[in-house]
Amino acid sequence: MKRRRWMACLLLAALAGPAVQAETRSLVLSTYGLNNDLFKKHVYDPFKARCGCEIVLETGNASDRLAKLEARRNNPNVDVVQITDFLALDASNKGLLQAIDYTKLKNLDQVYDFGRDPLRNQQAVAYTVYSVGLVVRTDKPSGAIASWKDLWRPDLKGHLMLANITGNQGLAQLFMVDRAWGGVATDMSTGFTKLGEVKAGTVTYYTQTAQMTALFAQDEAWVAPVGRFGWLNLKKTGKPLKWVVPKEGQVGMMNVMGIVKGSKNADLAHQLIDFWLSKDVQTALANDLADSPINRNTKPNPEAAEALTWGKAQIDSLVFMKPEMVARERAGWVTQWNRMIAK
Amino acid sequence: MNPISRPALAMLILALTFLLGPFIVIFVAGFSADETLAFPPTSYGLRWFGYLFGVEAFQRSFVTSLVVGAGSTLAALAFGVPVAYALSRYDFRGKDALRGLLTLPLVVPGIIVGLALLDLMVLVYALPVTLGLLIGHTTLLIPYTVRVVGSSLSNLRSDIDDAAITLGATRLQAFFKVVLPNIRGGVAAAAVLAFITSFNQVPVSLFLTGPGVSTLPIEMMAYMETSYDPSIAALSTLLVLFTIAVVAATEKLLGISKYV
Amino acid sequence: MRSRIPWWLLAPALALVGLLFVLPVAALLAGAFKIDGHLGLAHFTAFFDEPLHTQVYWRTLRIAGLATVVSALVCYPAAMAMVKVPARWRGLLTGLVILPLMVSPIARTYSWIVLLGRNGLANSLLVGSGVFDEPATLLFTEGAVFVGLLQLMMPLMLLSLVSALENLPPDVLAAAQTLGANRWQSFARVVLPLTQEGLIVGGTLVFTGCVTAFITPALLGGPKVLMLETLLYQKVNVASDMAAASVIAVLLLLTTIVVNQVLKRVSR
Repeated sequence: MKRRRWMACLLLAALAGPAVQAETRSLVLSTYGLNNDLFKKHVYDPFKARCGCEIVLETGNASDRLAKLEARRNNPNVDVVQITDFLALDASNKGLLQAIDYTKLKNLDQVYDFGRDPLRNQQAVAYTVYSVGLVVRTDKPSGAIASWKDLWRPDLKGHLMLANITGNQGLAQLFMVDRAWGGVATDMSTGFTKLGEVKAGTVTYYTQTAQMTALFAQDEAWVAPVGRFGWLNLKKTGKPLKWVVPKEGQVGMMNVMGIVKGSKNADLAHQLIDFWLSKDVQTALANDLADSPINRNTKPNPEAAEALTWGKAQIDSLVFMKPEMVARERAGWVTQWNRMIAK
Repeated sequence: MNPISRPALAMLILALTFLLGPFIVIFVAGFSADETLAFPPTSYGLRWFGYLFGVEAFQRSFVTSLVVGAGSTLAALAFGVPVAYALSRYDFRGKDALRGLLTLPLVVPGIIVGLALLDLMVLVYALPVTLGLLIGHTTLLIPYTVRVVGSSLSNLRSDIDDAAITLGATRLQAFFKVVLPNIRGGVAAAAVLAFITSFNQVPVSLFLTGPGVSTLPIEMMAYMETSYDPSIAALSTLLVLFTIAVVAATEKLLGISKYV
Repeated sequence: MRSRIPWWLLAPALALVGLLFVLPVAALLAGAFKIDGHLGLAHFTAFFDEPLHTQVYWRTLRIAGLATVVSALVCYPAAMAMVKVPARWRGLLTGLVILPLMVSPIARTYSWIVLLGRNGLANSLLVGSGVFDEPATLLFTEGAVFVGLLQLMMPLMLLSLVSALENLPPDVLAAAQTLGANRWQSFARVVLPLTQEGLIVGGTLVFTGCVTAFITPALLGGPKVLMLETLLYQKVNVASDMAAASVIAVLLLLTTIVVNQVLKRVSR
């Protein structure tokens, strides 16, 4: 009889255990794989202390994460998603996001105007902005580059690296090239024609940041359109490189945060978003070069500022692509692109 | 016994150099102390090995990969050995079709399998992530266990089990007491091959992993998409050493080289 | 040999593979044949209407086929040497052959990027020995993808052939030679037919592996050398075109079955 009582107690304790555990809520964040150790230090750990909750990450590249979100739409296991703006619009169009209550975001008024409602449907807020400009070798003919059109210089043949259309930089590149050469339509026909002209002299169309870094490090590439977040790793290669703000401008790209439809932790999600937008967090992240700030009141220290997209000059030079246009046209651009390369 | 002919030996050496050469690059690069991956390294040290042990994502996913690998290997053996036995000891119509069916997991592109299984496991059955991984991997490993164990079974004359049965054993007893000990080399080889396949599997795992649960190769891939440093070379070297240890131990205990 | 189907041995595996693999995959692939609710081949015709797609398909077949042939040519003599190596070295050799399979495909591909780059070993040798005046563009070509895939898949062919050759009674070759066959004849007429199973298995594994490889073509070839699998990923991840993706998957499946059957006929 005593044994049975013991077993009952154990059983109750075992059942109670998880029940006690369940007090600690988990907020699931789907995000990029880069710099999560810095985010842990400046965002996740402080936030966990504040909310008494756990943060669980799902990392990976944006397209895979979006595919999973879509597959799990009826049974989502993610609460907050961090993704590039036009993919967020894609997700929103597919009914995967829910509306954000802007009244809960106290730090929103410190965000740059362009970052507050980038999708224009109140379902996302930007948490960082980065520029896509040009990185060049200063000790080669590429050192003279000052404009997007300079990529067509014959002395760069065989050392020009471009971004592939499947990545964000690739889209930005197409957009700026088309613009620089006078294109007006959204079909980017001018851009495609011009890019086709330099195809033979292009080393490759990079698909991953690390690949791009590798090719600079191995002297294969002298110039490439690069996203600002990649500048830190490029500096580490030790090659003589510099960042060029072309005279036609740089493309501004935003990563945004959205709340997944069906999430049971929307309240915590709002808190995380507000925390991420706060001046202190944005400054800390900026100083460690994790992300360029979206909060206009951020003042990073001078050495960091040099490597970020920050300051009136940089921000004013930014040209934005409309996410609606990108979301709508992208599939067609990819087909055109593949055709252009295959010819 | 004919001695090894010169041209054949030359080909073998050529093949081995070709297969192992790139690994030398990785091996050396892992011991680099440079900031980024450069070959040959300008400085040497163990710093990147040390760095690896501090990356939490690698540690957690290593454990997950081990658990999933061991679990799915055992399951694949449990499901596959009976099939191999049936294929070798029984003669029935539809053997070829069966073999073909069981080879399907090798042929369908990983991304399709991943998406299909995601649809099934998550949406239809709402299974926990690790269980989904286990089931997915087991299905992928069955072709290997059936083939490798089958190959060693075909080396074992079938009259052995018949002899045991004549001497009074049931078929089950004959299997466990006579057949199994004789094919243990094949089973060991199948286990090693299956485990390695599961451990390195990427496309299917990509879709079956979820928040907080990931496998080592996926974490490596994610890391390599953005960072260009020698830690991946160091990690690859560690994994190779780990696998060599597993294979060597199995070889010492069970002797697998004849059945691979 | 018994001739009743031993269901109790086969059922668990059949159930697992049938229900948890074949059904879901078939359901997904069925999308290739469905247009607006009814069956049809419109997706297939639309796929091949795009000249790029046909080009990608032929390129994939070409590279995979070449890799299969070359690996067979290299691995047959290599395997024949390997089976004659004294037993105590065999374990080590087998281990060395399996070793490349242990290394993550990403790391292996990166080592090729290092080796084939402008400053890499290959170019140093070519320029140093005077074959070329200046470093050649080896990366991001079909050649680079071929080499990468060959290295990835060759252990599979080697191990299959070794396995088949081991089952060959050692006196068979000697007997052939006593009866007057020269080296080539004893190979073609005796060894080849007796080990054809190994060639078929190895060939199928190599071909299938090449055709479904993703990381190696993606990193070593890049977008200029698009292959079926990289195209498939693009269709899923970028274009969200599951119909086209299913078409490609069905094509891959059919191609592998055909190649397998062809190999079986040819070695007869």
